[in-house]
Parts: sequence; structure tokens; C-alpha cells
Amino acid sequence: MDVLVIHLLNALLYASVLFLIAGGLSLIYGVMRIVNMAHGNLYAFGAYVTAWAIGSVAAGAPTALLLVLLPVGALAAAVLGAALEPTLLRPFYQRAEEYQLLVTFGLLMILEDLLRFVWGPYPLSASEVFENFGSLTLGDSLYPTYNFLVIGVGIVAATFLWAFIYKTRFGVVLRATSQNMRMASALGVNVNRVYIEAFTLGCFMAGLGGAIIVPGQSAVLGMGIDAVVLAFIVVVVGGLGSLEGALVGALIVGVVREAGITWFPEIELAVLYLIAAIVLLIRPAGLFGRP
Amino acid sequence: MAGEVNRRDFLSTLGVSVGAALTASAGSVIPSVGVAHAQEKPKGNIPDTPYKIGHMTFFTGPAAVLGEPMYKGQLLAAEEINAAGGLLGKRKIEILKADEAAGTDANVKELRRLKLSEKIDFFCGITSSGNTPALGPVAEELKCLTIFVDGCTDFLWDKAVPNPHYIFRITNMQSADGVTCAVAVAQTWPKIKKIAHIHPDYSYGRNAFDHFGIVMKKLLPHTEVVSEGWPKLGTTDFSSHITKAISSKPDLVVSSVWGGDYVAMYKQALRYGMFQKAKFASMIAFGVAPHAIGKDHPEGVIAGVHSNYHFTYPDGDRWPYNKSFVEKYHKRFSEYPNFQAEGGYTATYILKAAIEKANHLTGGWPEDDAVIAMLEGQMIAGPAGYVYIRPDNHQGYKDAVTGFSKNVAEYPFPILDPARIITIPIRNITAPPGWPKGEPTSTYTWIDKTWPVAKV
Repeated sequence: MDVLVIHLLNALLYASVLFLIAGGLSLIYGVMRIVNMAHGNLYAFGAYVTAWAIGSVAAGAPTALLLVLLPVGALAAAVLGAALEPTLLRPFYQRAEEYQLLVTFGLLMILEDLLRFVWGPYPLSASEVFENFGSLTLGDSLYPTYNFLVIGVGIVAATFLWAFIYKTRFGVVLRATSQNMRMASALGVNVNRVYIEAFTLGCFMAGLGGAIIVPGQSAVLGMGIDAVVLAFIVVVVGGLGSLEGALVGALIVGVVREAGITWFPEIELAVLYLIAAIVLLIRPAGLFGRP
Repeated sequence: MAGEVNRRDFLSTLGVSVGAALTASAGSVIPSVGVAHAQEKPKGNIPDTPYKIGHMTFFTGPAAVLGEPMYKGQLLAAEEINAAGGLLGKRKIEILKADEAAGTDANVKELRRLKLSEKIDFFCGITSSGNTPALGPVAEELKCLTIFVDGCTDFLWDKAVPNPHYIFRITNMQSADGVTCAVAVAQTWPKIKKIAHIHPDYSYGRNAFDHFGIVMKKLLPHTEVVSEGWPKLGTTDFSSHITKAISSKPDLVVSSVWGGDYVAMYKQALRYGMFQKAKFASMIAFGVAPHAIGKDHPEGVIAGVHSNYHFTYPDGDRWPYNKSFVEKYHKRFSEYPNFQAEGGYTATYILKAAIEKANHLTGGWPEDDAVIAMLEGQMIAGPAGYVYIRPDNHQGYKDAVTGFSKNVAEYPFPILDPARIITIPIRNITAPPGWPKGEPTSTYTWIDKTWPVAKV
């Protein structure tokens, strides 16, 4: 029984981080119609900044202080996003989608090299927080206490995002721009401002995903590319541009991956792609996508 | 098929020794690694053009923690040789670096570029067994003299390049890794019954799983595999694999997860209580650069070193090559060498020895074919002990080593317990010359057909 609970917690852990990454990706696409290939490395950037802050700069500080420093990765990713959108992406809105794909893919590569240039080739660890939290006993099993924090952040982020999009004025403007950019613009919405805010928010989410997962794992080169592939599976399943889709997609991927590892270890890597393929065959726009 | 024997008797016929004893290898040997060896004066005219070595290993990513030291090992050897005037006293070694993390296809292109555009004289390095089967045939096609440091898959010689001419490999064959780990388990914990596996899902992990399994079938036939986990290479999230392994209630968890992946795995496994619930044996836990493992690593687990080398063994003055190598390496890089560093260092010196021998016979700078003829059957003493290049398959063989993790005051990271080092003569755990190529490997079929099943 307790093993089942732990499997479930593992699935939620995975889904929480995936939701943060894929949710950001979907938000950006929903509002701006840009498939941001570089998104994975904004997640990696968040992970690196946090790992650097709590693993090197403040190493040895009390856990409480390290926790306060945890979100710096998310903030750094948001700042980076706010700088990238007007400089690199804006000139390409009028062009065909291929250009945007090329630009953001190039950005993915450049960011990868930037991470390597700044933090070197080796994995960056911030395991102190993860270790200090210790483990919680569940029946006969142990579970890393820190992982509850990750799951909690995932849940809180999903709630806040929902409230933000559906309960605030900014959310209304965001949704309006998403549905019809020209009409929103004609009605006096500052579209440039909405774009930069949406992109910054999307990057913040990706960075937050990286920041909260890094203590339990580590920041490594290549993590961003893996993440963007997984995030695409999530949005393919859930529907690109839909936040509900990202949430449901992340939960499906989290549960299916956990079940795959447990019962079909031989096809662990294939099982996620199979899910995506099946969804594409049955509902090409994804479960929550607009066809 | 041999009959049933007692397990303990069979282990002793394998020559498994535990403790600080230095196993002796047969054969007369002239040690030639290191600058201490007196050099004969080179014959004939030697050009003073640089000798270009293309060195490819992981310089980035989680694999770099394990792979990059092979470059440092080669660099140290090259600096020593250059300080003494260069190869044959004239040709200074120049190393061109290439990052193995670029991916197999890009690595093949880079090897071509290094040979055709940079005109390298010699290619060295390679960590991943995903890469040697792709690079080996290309090196042969380019007629590029090559010593792979690692990338130790049996597949290279069994299938990809069954009749090598230009390519060699210095560190132990991969099958030795799974076998060494399994023999150590059979010796240490014969009463275990249920085994859970966690291996990276590519050729190395599969190889480790297969060879561990075949030895279990022979030495501990009462054991069963209760769980398998196949994480992707390069992953840092092992929560699900650890949970699955623990939930199968195993007596032993076996893993060949390596490099930065392993560092993430053991830290997570600690928090999941995996090491309290089961014994643990790894083929390659301590294969990484030693400082990458923290003092929080569990003690008393089998922490393999890819069956090759740990810098603390052979210790003290009993094997001066090791002592001086470790001192020089630490002085140069402010860290301790891993088995890859030893491999890169020894590969450079075995090349040097072959070039000198070939020069002695032919005069002048020797042709590659003369160097190859000298490398075949060459045996030299390296920091890890004697290494022998088998002429038929160009593979380096040295006695296999593994041991148990232990924290000591002298080092800021755990080492292999000096009192419990396990060594096995390599000839007793790898397929001999003349054994037919087998599936999945020659060593696998050799063990399957020639080892007896031990009595329970």
C-alpha cells in the first residue's frame, strides 16, 4: 500500500515539474503563437542559477536561507525572458512560422553554450537542501521530504496561474489577445506589452521548474533539451496553447512514466512517445486543444 | 559442460583474492611506463615535426565526470614525454581535443576531420561504448592508428571490427565488469536470493546486466531477478527506478549507472532508504573522478571501478609506478586520477614503447605498421599493474579490481577499503584467444559453456 502511495508521489513529482515547463511553453504559444524551442534551456537556466546560488554562493548557510534563495533561478529566467522577447523574437512575428522555429532553436543551442561558458562543463549540485530535509516515513517506506515541497510548488503554481488567467483583469486581456490579437489591439490593448508579459511569465514558470527540481537532482548540460522534448509530449497530449491541457498532459505523462518504469521497464523510453502517438491519431489537436 | 562443484572451491580456482595482496601475473615483463625507464638512443633520422594526437572524450555533461580524466592522463604523459625531448627524443606530442558529447554521428565526422584535415598521427580517447563501434570501422577505413581508452563494449571486437589492424583498446573488456561485480557478490554475500537491477538503457547497461546474470546462474543459481529498471543514459531522476527496486524487496540492488548520473542516483537512493533495505553492488560507482563522490556515500557497498583501477591500489611502495603516477597527477591537476586517467596515461606510454621498439628495429621514424606489430602482444607495467595487448583482438587485458566503499581520514571522499580489495586474474573471467565469437558476447558463451554450476 505505502509503495503505491510512493509511486503516486513520484508521478506527482514528475508531473509538477513537467507542468511548470509545459505550462510555460503552452502559455507562450497560446498568447503569441510561437513554438519556443528554447524553452527547455530557460528551465535549465533556472536550475543552474539556483544550483549556483545555493550550492556555491550560499553553501553551508542555514536551510531556511537556502530556501529563500531557491526562487532566484525562476526570477533569473524571467529576466532573461523579458530581455529576449523584444530583442530576438519581436522582429520575427511578421515572418512565417519556420523563421520563429529556427530562431528559437538557435537560441536553445546558444543558451546551452552560454550555460557551459558560465558554469563550466560539469554537473552543478545543490543537494544540501535535499539532504537537510531528510526523509519521511510512510509505513515501511521512506520518501524524501523535499519532494513534497516540489509537489506543493507545482500545485500552488497551477492554482495561481488559473486564478491569474481567469480571475484578473490581466488574464482577461491575455485571453483576449490570445483569441484575436488584431481585435484586442484595435480595442486599445498594448499587444507588445502583453507579449512581453506573457513571455516573461512563461519563462518564469520554466525557471521555477528548474529551480525547485535542482536540489534533488543536479544541473547538467543537456537537461534543457531533454526537458523540451518531454514538454512537447505533454503539450501534444494536452493540446498546445491550453493550460488545462498542460496540467492534464503533465499528470498523464507523470503517471504513465511511473507505470511504464514499474511494469514495462523494457520500453520505458518508448512508452511516452506511444502515448503521444495515440493521442495524435485520435485527437490531433490534443485533449484540450482547439482544432 | 563441467559438473557441479562447490562454490568456494570454484572461486578459489578463479584466483579471486580479497585483501591487500598483489596478484601476480605470469610472464616476463619489462616495465616501461614512466620517465624512470632508461631510453636507448633512437636510431636514424627522426623528424622534429609535432606528433599530433586527436583526443576525444566527454568534456561536457554528466559523463565528463568520468570521461574527462582520460584526457588529463594523456596530457600528463605527453607533458612528461615532451619534457624529455618528445617521442624518440624529437617529436613533441601535440593533443587536439574533441568533445565526445557531440553525439555519435558528429563524433564520426570529427574523427574524419581530425585525420583528413588536421592530419593527426594517432587517435585516442572515447568513453562511451555507444561510440567505439561507430568510430572503430571509420578509424580502420582512414588507416588511423588508434588506441581507445574505454568504450569497452565486447561488441567492438565481436562484431563491429572482428579483425582489427589500426585500432586497439587499453582498458578492460566490458564483460569483465559485470563478471567482476558478480564474482565479488558471490564471494561476499552468497546468501542473497532476490536481486533488483538498475542499469542505463544502452549497450553498457545491457552488457553489465547480461554478464552479471550469467555468473549468478553459475555461482549463485538459487538467486532470482525480482526487478529491472532501465533509466535513460544522462538522466538525473531515479525516483521511480529506486521505488520500483525497493518495492520488489530485494536482498541486493545491482547497478551500472555511472558518472554524474550515479552521483544523482546515490543521493536520491539515500533519501529513499534504499541502502538500508538492501545490499548494493555497482560495477562502476567509483569509476568517476574520486572527488565527485561525497562522504555521504554508503560504506561497505561494492563500489566498482569498471574492473580496472582505483588510485589507492596497488598502494604504498609496493608498486612504485602507481605511487609516482598518483603524486604527479595530483600535483598537476589538484585531484586524484580515476581508471580513465590511468588508461589515458598508460595508452600514451604503451604507444611510446611500441614506437621505440619499432625504431630500434627499423631505424628512423617507424611506419604505422611497424608500430602496430610492436603493440600486438606488448605487455607493459602501468600504474594499475601489468597490461597486455592481445595480438588477435588488439584488446588490453589487466587483472580486474573491485572493492568496498569506505570513508577514511586521509581523503575528502570515500575510497575502496584498502583491507578488502578484490582482484581477479583477467584470464579467468574473459574469453580466451581462439574462443569462437558468441552471442551476446564471447565471454558470455564461454562462461555459459565452461563454468560449472556451483552447488547451493
